[in-house]
Amino acid sequence: MLRILHGTNYDFIKWWKVMAAITVAFIVVGGSMVTGRIIRKEPPVNKSIEFSGGTLVHLKFAQPPGDASVREAMTSAGFGHAEIQEFGSPDQYTVRARLGTGEVTAAQGDSTAKLVAAAIKAKYGDGVTVLRSEFVGPRVGDELQTNAIIAILISFMVTLIYLAIRFEWRFGLAAVIATAHDTITTIAFITIMHLEVSLTVVAAILTVIGYSLNDTIIIFDRVRENLKKARKESLYVLLNRSINETLPRSIMTHATTLAATFALLLFAGEVIRPFSWVMTFGIFTGTFSSIYVAGALLLYIEHKWPREADKGTSRALAAERREGAGAAAGN
Amino acid sequence: MTNLRYRLLGIAVLTALAAFALFPRNRTVQVRGPDGVLRDTVQRHVPLSYGLDLVGGMHQTLEIDESKQQIAQKDKADAIDKALKTVRNRIEGFGVSEPAISKSGTDRITVELPGMEERERALQVVQDQAFLEFKITDKTGAFERVLPRLDAIIKERKLAPAAVAGTPAAPARGLEGLLKAAGDTGKKVAQGRDTAKADSASGPGALSNLIQQGQMPGEFMVEDGAVTRVKAYLADSVVNAALPPAKEVLWSTDSTIYGNKKYRMLYLVDARAIMTGEHLTDARPNTSPLEGTIVQFTMDNVGGRRFRNETGKHIGDNMAIVLDKRVMGRPPVIQGAISTNGQITMGGKDLAAAQDLALVLRAGALPVPLRVAEVRTIGPSLGADSIEKGMRASILAVVLVIVVMVSYYRVSGLLAVGALGFYALFTLATLAVFGGVLTLPGIAGFVLSIGIAVDANVLIFERIREELDRGKTIRTAIDEGFRHAMPAIIDSNVSTILTAAVLYQYGTGAVRGFAVTLIAGITASLVSAIFIVRTFYMIWLQRKRGIQALSI
Repeated sequence: MLRILHGTNYDFIKWWKVMAAITVAFIVVGGSMVTGRIIRKEPPVNKSIEFSGGTLVHLKFAQPPGDASVREAMTSAGFGHAEIQEFGSPDQYTVRARLGTGEVTAAQGDSTAKLVAAAIKAKYGDGVTVLRSEFVGPRVGDELQTNAIIAILISFMVTLIYLAIRFEWRFGLAAVIATAHDTITTIAFITIMHLEVSLTVVAAILTVIGYSLNDTIIIFDRVRENLKKARKESLYVLLNRSINETLPRSIMTHATTLAATFALLLFAGEVIRPFSWVMTFGIFTGTFSSIYVAGALLLYIEHKWPREADKGTSRALAAERREGAGAAAGN
Repeated sequence: MTNLRYRLLGIAVLTALAAFALFPRNRTVQVRGPDGVLRDTVQRHVPLSYGLDLVGGMHQTLEIDESKQQIAQKDKADAIDKALKTVRNRIEGFGVSEPAISKSGTDRITVELPGMEERERALQVVQDQAFLEFKITDKTGAFERVLPRLDAIIKERKLAPAAVAGTPAAPARGLEGLLKAAGDTGKKVAQGRDTAKADSASGPGALSNLIQQGQMPGEFMVEDGAVTRVKAYLADSVVNAALPPAKEVLWSTDSTIYGNKKYRMLYLVDARAIMTGEHLTDARPNTSPLEGTIVQFTMDNVGGRRFRNETGKHIGDNMAIVLDKRVMGRPPVIQGAISTNGQITMGGKDLAAAQDLALVLRAGALPVPLRVAEVRTIGPSLGADSIEKGMRASILAVVLVIVVMVSYYRVSGLLAVGALGFYALFTLATLAVFGGVLTLPGIAGFVLSIGIAVDANVLIFERIREELDRGKTIRTAIDEGFRHAMPAIIDSNVSTILTAAVLYQYGTGAVRGFAVTLIAGITASLVSAIFIVRTFYMIWLQRKRGIQALSI
């Protein structure tokens, strides 16, 4: 029987302050980048055409043309404000002309794609093909954006309700805050990595929420089970034990899920890459938050609002909580 | 061991159902042959549909264009329903295999055209309102009479840009010979021109400078370069109000060349249409040696009678054929009463344009003007590339998962991997049964769920190991392992399904595909991880009755 991290007894919770500092630092970096963008009057995140409205043209050239050459073609066509980006390889480019930036207006609308394609064809002739083009009007963009935000909020509520039914509220609250933490760090990650937020990325964020919750539930389920069995332990010790007991599972699931996201990152191509990045990051943040956010919060909530249903336990817990707090303070 | 027998039977039934759901079946689709004619063709397909992002094609969302026509909120839903029918008729005539046309939300129409690449043409066919009218051009010189007033208004309201003043006047001078000014009209136009020479364009002749009398009553010519300016003048509300009452100013669809210059025609017509396309029963494209491409149309009897009456009253007049507020070709002189048959000349346009016009006329007019709210075109090469990359990623993910599981859990890991095969089969079958569409994010979801699918097995195996550690017999350890892992498995998977359901509700297109694949994947993984792996264990234990150590 091959075993890794079996029968461990690490004091995970001991490190919560360090971990809190790391995650706060990460969020602050992401947050300050977002603030910087807002100050520069840019949208807080790098929005895709789906959300900002406008036109995207994805081109494939027979010969790598170089940034300046594509830029020149666009400027001469009157799209000096268009964003030009290499897409995956030097022979592929995307041109984005967003609504409300200089020359692109809603009235012009879908004809922008035609004009961009015509300008490029005029310069490169048959040496270029249009792989895809997108036009999104302002109303649709706004609606998609609202829907994405609603979707994220509703999935929070739905999971909160589900957790409230399956676990008691202390667990639910801790799990939801941990999930909110994951959403925030994921957004920070997106800003730091300069990823473009599209509908697919929103889907990835929601999947991260699901995955992270999944992880938290596995640990909490163990806590719930251990609470029923052993009553002499402090919650601090019990939580640590539960995390240690579920550690092999966490590592294994991690390994298989990471295998999948690495496969996506390596092979699934440029179009889906932002999704793959967000998922890969989400697996780490999800596991991290299950231990250090959900676990630590559960400890805090239990301390603040101790259970009273079971008198014997509550007394026992109160005694051990002091012990636990002492241990935490001692470190 | 009847329990085991039932389990095996259950697995066999599930597998058979899944295989049946995925069995290739015949489907009749309309395919355009090399000669451009649509034919029913039978194709054999695995009943799994690929999204537009994988096969390539065009996705468009249309909304009511309220800048062209105001419409009351309560009439919108009705208008969209009617427009949906018209759009469907038009698309069916267009000849794309398996188009999908549906209402999205309450006030939009979504059109999906797989394989469609002629972007502009498809947009045109769907968007053209195709409101056909027949109108008599003005013979009373009404426009010429109001021109000085319009000039005055333009001057008063300072609509003319001073900087480019001289330019528009210049061509007008060069074309004096073309002017067939009749009576006082000619004088006034000429007058305007004379003043413009001395004055700037913001002088009295700002508009009349740009407009010349055409060759028939009610026809005017505007040089191509000045069209935008004239349009801007005429769009001004005060100018608009000063136009002759009960008349309408309409532009022609194409430019005409005179000498070495291009002109757009402007027509003053009676606002009342003598006839509309409402009674049109058929329209066919054709070519005529004299007029080039034409569209011949037929009216029903009621329309024919009315058309005969009206044209009878206007013999010798010019009749403008107006499509969506634009004059098609040059208004012909009515030679005699026209009844049920007529034709529209297409000017210099090709047969495809005539085909498209005939198509939209046959399908009927849209009750409201539509505009594009969203359009995506994906080239077939990008889609094929995505499928290939998705396949490669899936294979790599499967290989990695197999390596991890088998090296860690040995035979038990092998059982889990075996169940993974069923998992893939069930997921695809679920997609086929519920009409799920496989999209690029969907493939990503599938790859991802391969990794997540073994999670349930990991949970179970870890539990079994714990039970074994406590010194339980193999059989009990397996039983207890499955039992104790269950609450965690259920809770974690239900929460993921819930988020996926929210995603389905609020997502569109490709993202919906992702949500569906994820839900199908999780459900299938529960069946394979819990039910199938359990059965595998039972078979294994039965074969090796005296087994001492479990390979886990």
